[in-house]
Amino acid sequence: MSLTADALDHLVSRLQGVLRADQVLTSKADRFNRARTPAPFPVHRWSEHVPDVVVLPESTDDVVTVVRLANELAVPIVPRDGGTGLTDGAVPLRHGILVDVKRMNQIHEIDLDNRTCTVGVGINMLKLNEVLGRYGLIYPDNPASYPCSLVGGRIGTSGWSLIGSRYGHTRDLVLSFDHVLPTGEVMHVGDGIGGNITRSSSGYQLKHLFMGHQGTLGIATRATLKLFPKPEAELSPFFAFSDYDSAHRCVGALARAGVATFAGAVLFDEWKVAYLRRDDEAYIPQPSDVKALVCTALYGWEDEVRVGGKRLLRITREHGGRYLGDEISEGDWAARHDRYATPLHGRTRSGQVVPMSWHCEDASISHTNLPAVTRAWHAIVTELRRRTDVFDDWGMFAYTNGATGIDYLTEIDVGIWEQQLGEEAWRLWVQAKRDIAAVTLRYRGSISACHGSCREGEVDLVPEELGRGYGVMLDVKRLLDPNNIMNPGKYGLDRAYEGGGR
Amino acid sequence: MTETDDQRRSLAEPYTPGSGDGGEPWDAQPDTVAVAPPAAPGRDERTVEFLAEWHNGSYNCFSSGHKFCREVCPVVQVTRNESWSPTAFHANVVAMERGHLDVADVAADYVNCTQCGACELRCPNTLFTGDFYRFRTRTVDVVKAMRALAVDEGVHQPAWQRWNASTGERTHEPVLGDTPVSQEHVRDWADGLDLPIGGESILFVDCEAAFYRTSVPRAVAQILQRAGYEFGLMAEQWCCGGPAAEMGYTDQARRFAEHNLADWRATGARRVLVLDPHDYISFTEDYPRYFGDDFDIEVVLVVELFAEMLGDGRLRPDVPIERTVTYHDPCRLNKRKGIWREPREILRAIPGLTFHDVDRVTQWSYCSGAGGGLAIEKPELTAAISARRIEHAATLDVDTLVSACPWSERPLTAAGAEASIDVVDLHELLAESLGIDVGGDAGTGR
Repeated sequence: MSLTADALDHLVSRLQGVLRADQVLTSKADRFNRARTPAPFPVHRWSEHVPDVVVLPESTDDVVTVVRLANELAVPIVPRDGGTGLTDGAVPLRHGILVDVKRMNQIHEIDLDNRTCTVGVGINMLKLNEVLGRYGLIYPDNPASYPCSLVGGRIGTSGWSLIGSRYGHTRDLVLSFDHVLPTGEVMHVGDGIGGNITRSSSGYQLKHLFMGHQGTLGIATRATLKLFPKPEAELSPFFAFSDYDSAHRCVGALARAGVATFAGAVLFDEWKVAYLRRDDEAYIPQPSDVKALVCTALYGWEDEVRVGGKRLLRITREHGGRYLGDEISEGDWAARHDRYATPLHGRTRSGQVVPMSWHCEDASISHTNLPAVTRAWHAIVTELRRRTDVFDDWGMFAYTNGATGIDYLTEIDVGIWEQQLGEEAWRLWVQAKRDIAAVTLRYRGSISACHGSCREGEVDLVPEELGRGYGVMLDVKRLLDPNNIMNPGKYGLDRAYEGGGR
Repeated sequence: MTETDDQRRSLAEPYTPGSGDGGEPWDAQPDTVAVAPPAAPGRDERTVEFLAEWHNGSYNCFSSGHKFCREVCPVVQVTRNESWSPTAFHANVVAMERGHLDVADVAADYVNCTQCGACELRCPNTLFTGDFYRFRTRTVDVVKAMRALAVDEGVHQPAWQRWNASTGERTHEPVLGDTPVSQEHVRDWADGLDLPIGGESILFVDCEAAFYRTSVPRAVAQILQRAGYEFGLMAEQWCCGGPAAEMGYTDQARRFAEHNLADWRATGARRVLVLDPHDYISFTEDYPRYFGDDFDIEVVLVVELFAEMLGDGRLRPDVPIERTVTYHDPCRLNKRKGIWREPREILRAIPGLTFHDVDRVTQWSYCSGAGGGLAIEKPELTAAISARRIEHAATLDVDTLVSACPWSERPLTAAGAEASIDVVDLHELLAESLGIDVGGDAGTGR
């Protein structure tokens, strides 16, 4: 429920007392434009997600001031960084104050000796790398949203890096950060004393607790990041397969090969290839006997990439993969990597091209279970499609994680025609998400490898997935956020409070 | 869930809807789920027309929500305000359609755009793909359309209203502030050059160049003379009308275009030589839209002409210019028109220059902030954007930033003064290297 007019007036005047006028936004457009993320959004219920007021802090002190005020007045507060997340962390469920951190985008320090940098969390990784490039360095956190997502959002979701097999994922790359707790206290969290230390056995390892909480435990404001030498060479070969099973076996072999420069591999299933063939103008057409694709990427010095690449090429040959050549490999890697294979239109069942939003349901699935999960997920989306033109199956990707080759970020891309999205379609969608999550758990996977699992639908299964761990989440939430002000309603955490929350 | 034979078959055979190759792999049920949004009540005809035109285009952006446009947007870079992002400019249309917002709620937000076009290039809907399904993102057009709707609905931005009123009265933009501009003085920049009126080729000199940075048209005219290229000036040149179109004053824009076309026809012009990228947009995009097939005037960008003349030897610069320069890709050339090669060819033909180039794609996120009327309504944002551009130049250890757009040069010159970086126009530099004493005012007191 929105604040009453009087309460809102009071809140705004208090905020204006501590922040400049241009840091407190109250217009309708300012608020409507901070209600959603790229994930499908119940556009027919847009106004339910509009914050009451938006603040644009410029420092940790500004954030502290706002959080203290929210805690004092018991007003919901929602952190928003890039607003590019796929699980709604930045979507207000109870209106309140939206804290948009984009102005905290300074580079505070670049430590060339220890290869770290300290930044405001409102900085984008691509923009950061434009500066780091001058020093021959790179911050390799590399989500699909690399050109637009922000460091703070990556902390809040603890996401996946596409080339994380080479350098680690967000949780490995963020060394420490300043974090404003729901009560307004500031904590520096990282290994041990924090700063630029990467390994510590001192005390509880708190860093991971304050990453991936989707804004329910506070707001990161300034982070120290791990840097790497900018790689001299990149190799990104694409391989075609005449069947999914061969491609699946191949990607497992690539990941298990133990090649140090291996940064990751992506498996495109038959539905993904068919979708690209029909609707992606950037897709370079392949013969119709191509049913699945594998791409892989290696980074490092030229000599080591050359040797590692030869080994991986041999492995793909042994699995029936056909190398697609330098031009396609480089061009398509750039396309996949940069624009993320999403034409943003799909088709109705009769073939009409319509604008659709892209949503991917992700999960962490072990290699051996990938084929079964793939079939079961397509069956769920097929059922949606049988019912209505609102949904389109855009196929699946699976990304490898690390040299062990065990876990795969597995995602099914679903096009949603939001112009035609009403309550019935939304209900079907939410149920489909529950079904997708149930398949994941049946195959002993995790509901999310990357995005988080706090959206309507899948969130219902999180207690089942985490068991007693979910109870610990409730305990932690209640302890750190006694008034349930921090992004209330997410992850079912209301049940931590008497009466189920506010 | 059990996997039926039917489902397994569908998985084995992904299909293309509508391809007619045997139809769907399963029995589709009649669609009782999809619902169009209810029309928002109480809309006037003009707003309904606007929404009908921009409904799908805006949804294409809204549906994506990726915001790849955000970090390349010059306004977002300096304000970090998501309400002023290309994504918001589309989402507002969707919100209007749904009845959440009106033009009065958003009109002032649409000031915050230089119409540089970076967002369109960076958009996943456009990048690499062209316009296969006519779903290309058209932020610039959306912004222009929303501004026009605002004006038509009586929602004015005060500085723009004054600017366009003054332009309407004097037929030129009030680029000299309190010093009036007028038809009487529109050719003053050409004093002593002995230029004829009329002829097959007409040199069009935009307001900023004609009244403020007069060194630019003087350089262009004298280079053309040096190359033996015959050209004349208009009998009565008015503003091209482009700025009015950009700010939403579409009737005035059209009126000016009609005047200029009539003037060209009256003096026998077959082609117009253009020295300003903003005019180039007006003449290659707006005018053809206004006049359709009747617009039979060839539009020649002098930057391209000069590159050609250097290539075939009609121009031979031989005076060394001892400067260390970088080049600012004017947005309307690089981002809007894909013209980036020729300016670099010109720079590389000038002896003595040390040229530290920054590639055109990196420059998608660079801008002077002077376009789209931003400098008129929010000069402080233009100044901040120009300061950022100069900061980028400063990392290259250059003493000079070369631009090819008179509108960019005023704010860049001001920002450059703070950083001891000269801002020079490409045409001025070429003229100097040809041994031409350009004369005129370069806006720097030089």
